[in-house]
Amino acid sequence: MASCNRTVTRQVTATGKKMFVYYYMTPEPVTITSESTVSEATDIINRHGFRHLPVVDEQMVLQGMVTDRDLRSVCPSTILDPGERKNILARVSRSFVLDIMSKDFFQLQASATIDDALQLFTNHRIGTLPVVNRQQQVVGIFSLNDMMAAYQKLFGLGERGSMLIAIKDSGKEGILGVLAKGLDEQAIECSRLIRSPGRPGHEPAAIYLRVNTCNASLVHRVVEQAGLCLLSPKNPADGGNA
Amino acid sequence: MTSHKHITIVTDSSLLDHDTGGGDHPEVPARLTSIKEYLSASSVFSKIQYVTPDPATRGQITSFHTESWLFRFEESVLSGKTYIDHPDNQIGYESFELAMLSAGTGISAIDLLEQGETECVFCLTRPPGHHAEANMPLGFCFFNNCVIAARYWQSLGSQRVCIFDFDAHHGNGIQSAFEHETDTLYISIHEHPSFSYPGTGWAEEHGQGAGTGTILNLPVNPGTGDEQVIALLDGPVLELLESFKPEAFIIAAGFDGHGEDDMSGLAYSTNLYRNIGSRIKQWEKQFCPGHVVSLLEGGYALTALAPSVEAYLDGLS
Repeated sequence: MASCNRTVTRQVTATGKKMFVYYYMTPEPVTITSESTVSEATDIINRHGFRHLPVVDEQMVLQGMVTDRDLRSVCPSTILDPGERKNILARVSRSFVLDIMSKDFFQLQASATIDDALQLFTNHRIGTLPVVNRQQQVVGIFSLNDMMAAYQKLFGLGERGSMLIAIKDSGKEGILGVLAKGLDEQAIECSRLIRSPGRPGHEPAAIYLRVNTCNASLVHRVVEQAGLCLLSPKNPADGGNA
Repeated sequence: MTSHKHITIVTDSSLLDHDTGGGDHPEVPARLTSIKEYLSASSVFSKIQYVTPDPATRGQITSFHTESWLFRFEESVLSGKTYIDHPDNQIGYESFELAMLSAGTGISAIDLLEQGETECVFCLTRPPGHHAEANMPLGFCFFNNCVIAARYWQSLGSQRVCIFDFDAHHGNGIQSAFEHETDTLYISIHEHPSFSYPGTGWAEEHGQGAGTGTILNLPVNPGTGDEQVIALLDGPVLELLESFKPEAFIIAAGFDGHGEDDMSGLAYSTNLYRNIGSRIKQWEKQFCPGHVVSLLEGGYALTALAPSVEAYLDGLS
């Protein structure tokens, strides 16, 4: 990522992980040129319910971002004299996007990972990021909702025909292999296997399995045979475990 | 047939022949035999009469399911397959016919009630049904017995049908059948979908379009016991029933929320099922006397299942 200079476009590229933004972004987003008027930008944002609009040149190369907040901030105050307000509104509407767009913004390369996006969203309180190719052309837009959908897909949350089994992590060496072998021997399809170290005093270390079966009894047996036990919080607020 | 008995159980010994392959499959014939044996030695036995069902007709099945699913199911059975789509959905040579018979238990039960032959009816049946979708089996279920029964009751004039589901798992097939409709209501208390099969039944799902407000999902966390369930029955469930005013109840009666049943992480006691039965009896009196049919769904720990069914019937009668 480039340095955090107010006048520099900051860019995030892939860090070698496989959870690419490209697969979860909204492709071919609506864009606007810097020569468009504020009135046109307002119309597009209102019509589509967007909060962010990439500003591009004729080759779709990203020039800036205009947000609903940018548009609101150039509107005259409602406490102004109505006549004066009307004049300012008319003048603002005729002004160009170039004058109000942000030239200091974050963007993602199409090869960036959703973890990269997560970093930007959480560290900079951003809601939407433009996605560009190597030529800096806009190829998509990636929002907080897209990120949640991506993680939902990756972890299989709410996947029909599956269930999540939470297991106390014994910390034993090779335990994941033992568990995977046990599931395999029983022909239980496991679509996700996650190991979480937990947080001392807050959350126990756990292994989470997402299995595609209704036969919980059989899965429980595999867990027991691996020398593990289930983690079933009776009341998460109390931190109590069954 | 006489009607001096209070409880009619619709079942057929041939339902035991639905072959789930033995081994580790929990949906076994012994589920039904253990219940029958337990009831025969219980205090409610004197109130019970047994009636055999007729199989559902193809037309009754297709009131919910697609023709293509029926063909696929029948073909799978005849070609000697041992499961459909997933090893959970084990089949034997007779499974298609027996699934038709299982769906027929609800229909026969409705006929008995409509003809005034009984006051209280429980379908002791397998394979279960509430996970079955219109075009696919899921979670041991092939035909959605509850939805098929609801469609039949509607065809007889009781339009406002409520399916109440207390199985530990969400009845995704029932929800998908009802979620766009205004005349039907689906209420389910189930283990939270983050932990439980089939990963559906989120609290914020209330129905879609015109059907908004006709789905009530009440997911509960692992470890949930009787008190919380009773609070739901006497609170949001009753409140919704009072506004919906059902003309008929179909109960998806699953007993796998019992603390001894490891198919869920719930911790219900046997006595909770007595309380659920008595609540349903009260609702029947309040909203639609003589219009309650219960169908067995889940319940796999045999030592807990039979006493739980007995307790439920005791509360219901």
